Amino acid sequence: MKKHDKNLVNAGEVSGGGAFKRLLQKDITPYLVFAIPLTFMVIFLVYPMVTTLMRAFMPAGNKMVIGSFSLKGFTKFFESSMYQKALGNSFIVSISVTLLCIVIGVPMGYFVARVKMPGKSLILSLGILPIIMPSFVGAFTWVILLGRQGVLRHFFNLFLTPLGLEMPPIYGMFGMILCMTLTYYPFVFQLAYGAFASSNSLLEEAGMLMGAGKWYIFRTITFPLILPSLGAGALLVFVRSIGNFGIPAIIGGDKYVLPTLIYFRVNGFWDLNGAASIAVVNVLITAVVLWLQKRVINKHEYETISATHSEVKLHGGKGIRIIAIVYCMFILIASLLPQFTIIIMSFFEKWVGLFPEGFTFAHYLRIPRYSSKEMVNTFFLSVIATILAAILGSIIAYITERKKPKGAALLDLAIMAPFILPGTVVSVALLSAFSGNSALKLTGTFTIIVIAYMVRRTPYVYRSVAASLSQLNPSLEEASTIAGANWFYTFRKVSVPLIMPAIISGSILTLTTLLQELSTTILLYSSKTRTVPIQIYGAVADGKLGEASALSVILLVVVFVIVYLMNRKQGQSIASSFKMG
Amino acid sequence: MSLSLTYKSVNKIFGEHEKNPVHALNEVSFTINPGELFCLLGPSGCGKTTLLRSTAGLESITNGKILYGEKDMTTIPPFRRNIGMVFQSFALYPHMNIFENVAYGLRIRKTPEKEVVKKVTEVMELVGLTEELKRNPSPTGLSGGQQQRVAIARALVYDPDLLLLDEPLANLDAKLRRYMRAEIRRIQKATNITTIFVTHDQEEAMAIGDRLAVLRRGIVEQIGTSNELYTNPDSAFVSNFIGKMNFFNATLTAKNQARIALSDTLVDVKPEKVRMAAAAKLSLGDAVLVGARPEQMEISKEKSKGAIEGHVQIIQHLGQVVRYEVLLDERISDAPMEIDMPALIAGISERDKVYVSLKEGMPFMFLPEERN
Repeated sequence: MKKHDKNLVNAGEVSGGGAFKRLLQKDITPYLVFAIPLTFMVIFLVYPMVTTLMRAFMPAGNKMVIGSFSLKGFTKFFESSMYQKALGNSFIVSISVTLLCIVIGVPMGYFVARVKMPGKSLILSLGILPIIMPSFVGAFTWVILLGRQGVLRHFFNLFLTPLGLEMPPIYGMFGMILCMTLTYYPFVFQLAYGAFASSNSLLEEAGMLMGAGKWYIFRTITFPLILPSLGAGALLVFVRSIGNFGIPAIIGGDKYVLPTLIYFRVNGFWDLNGAASIAVVNVLITAVVLWLQKRVINKHEYETISATHSEVKLHGGKGIRIIAIVYCMFILIASLLPQFTIIIMSFFEKWVGLFPEGFTFAHYLRIPRYSSKEMVNTFFLSVIATILAAILGSIIAYITERKKPKGAALLDLAIMAPFILPGTVVSVALLSAFSGNSALKLTGTFTIIVIAYMVRRTPYVYRSVAASLSQLNPSLEEASTIAGANWFYTFRKVSVPLIMPAIISGSILTLTTLLQELSTTILLYSSKTRTVPIQIYGAVADGKLGEASALSVILLVVVFVIVYLMNRKQGQSIASSFKMG
Repeated sequence: MSLSLTYKSVNKIFGEHEKNPVHALNEVSFTINPGELFCLLGPSGCGKTTLLRSTAGLESITNGKILYGEKDMTTIPPFRRNIGMVFQSFALYPHMNIFENVAYGLRIRKTPEKEVVKKVTEVMELVGLTEELKRNPSPTGLSGGQQQRVAIARALVYDPDLLLLDEPLANLDAKLRRYMRAEIRRIQKATNITTIFVTHDQEEAMAIGDRLAVLRRGIVEQIGTSNELYTNPDSAFVSNFIGKMNFFNATLTAKNQARIALSDTLVDVKPEKVRMAAAAKLSLGDAVLVGARPEQMEISKEKSKGAIEGHVQIIQHLGQVVRYEVLLDERISDAPMEIDMPALIAGISERDKVYVSLKEGMPFMFLPEERN
């Protein structure tokens, strides 16, 4: 009490002074704390993006020459048939994958949400697996199943050969589309499920009372109301599939897409400027699609009007129940086939006929000798990047939500940008900025990988924390300030503990996706910074499918255990964490 | 030693440099006495919460001064002001038990553990939560009234110079609200800390406050005790906000006399009930408002001299009085009259024609103005 009186007197005296003294009285800690992440963003996000944009307009090569200007990188899209094909393939693949995911995911979401069936929560958790598992692992298991020597191909050909037909091997467009669809349909499925399950059944009942039939109601009420969720899901699928590197790299065969073309420019020719041009085109396409989606969705964004809400009624008819169960089972089995295959493959020497041959533990026993460095690297790179991303994302979320600075929208855009950027593009941007004749040279270091991981994954934590903060009543923090706590004390004792669950769930998501990160790492790794996904990719390229499988199984188990533990503890849907605002 | 609190020409403009600035506080100047329980009352959007938050330093004021005692606190950040505040939502910390919630301000002040235990025990005794403190649950496990008490204890435990209460009863049910407002007054008198209580409920404000300030659109309309505001309202707005006031459109016929519209009813108003600050500017024949409280009027079936014709809309039996809502010609009054009679009048039912009269010497006279 005494001490505080003294404080008050002092403060009272000072307040007579000018603007400078006023400034001194303010608590400047928040500004210091905010400056660090903002500086990081400028150096490692804004600067590389600007550099990439500049390089895109420079002549081929890796030299950063200010003043030189060339459209060569872009005109190639009109001259080179390889560029044209890659662009075309990217479009065909991502558009077909998006449409197929909708066709597969929407009925599945509707069935699980609206039809009486057993094991719904199991279907939901199994249905999320394909997106939390490394997509390139799925790709090479499809090689085992449908490749030239593929098990399933072999099986189908038993029936097709007598008819004079042959099943084509998986390589090429068909394989990429199949593989991506089965990997990404959960986005549509989970978001459609959420929308179907939470929509207000009173609206449908009102329609029924006014004389509308079931199909009419679905067409005019149910479906329009889930459009925003569907749009968000479709956008996620499109962004992911146009940016995916692993699947086309493994089963694309001679069919290039934009991310593999970027890899080819960098890895084959060390032509960073050329790669930057492709990256700019890649980003432009994504941006246009994002913009289109926003426009369409904004037209269809409805607010809930009614106050009362009733539970949706479930279909109980026998026919629809059988259809629903069979359909869900079929999709689940098809999309989880890679996971089963890989576990079997990892214990056998080879698998070319119908059955695997030569049971062995050798693949696993080789891991400590040949891949221990990769394991340690993966672990440390992911954990360090996750911790840093958690700090960065939380602080920036706090700034935009609580301080509401003038450029909040810009900050939000900047931090969310990497969310839609393909991993290869982020890598090209970082290489553009920090290699060759740049002031800060980071090529081949652990640092550049950590930075790339952070830049790409901070949105996860950011989104999660921002959502949590917007739910949190500001008076909780004000009460602390009133009680006499300065900004930092309040931040430590009130804000951080209350948003901790959001920080943790965002971080878990970050960690699990980083453990399997391939598209970012592939352009940045050096011999000392190799990771497990790189090792798997290399093993597949060398045809050592057994070793690749064993490594993948370990990765799968680790990721699965982490996600399972988080779901047990927090019980929230992972799919919604991927959603963007 | 309690502090007084003084506002000197306080102005708060939201979005000053934007298209639609909002003048939330307009030249607010008054003083709250040491140890007083002072109510800020007004309809929503009147600026009462802004004034409270400015007092706490949670909002910075555009210009003017706020003094605690003799000290100018205008630019001091809230955490250096040594004040206690209870929020409408209580703002208790779900991640701390109730002991730690209450001890929070002491921990900031680095009070020794022994002292913390002693002070928390004392303050919890004061708010009547001794039993709950022994169990020490998380605040989420408490009832609304108990959470309220914890919030008050948390604000009081470090002997603040000022206690600010922001609609603290709004989240409680009606019965608990009446009980807690008596409790708050008891606790405030026991600690004698200068207290500001914000509410939009006039009954609550009149019951709890030593004095009240009525705000409207950022302007302090009137300050006084409950009795002063009720018996001597300064304006039509205050008269109808503190209790109910019925208004008649009228024209000034003499210095203290008005004629009610459409009638030859002349109303003589006692000089002390003429509430017209700018009366000097008015001339005979100008429009004025004649006001009367429900208990200052009568109805009857028979026409008498000076009575005004109307139709009964609703009859409500409220226990000690019977309230008649009577609709007059809309040129006399656009809102129905509320008239309280001591008992039910035989022979009058809803939709009947009745005659309304004003009791001698009771009516007020106001300047015509917006009354809401």
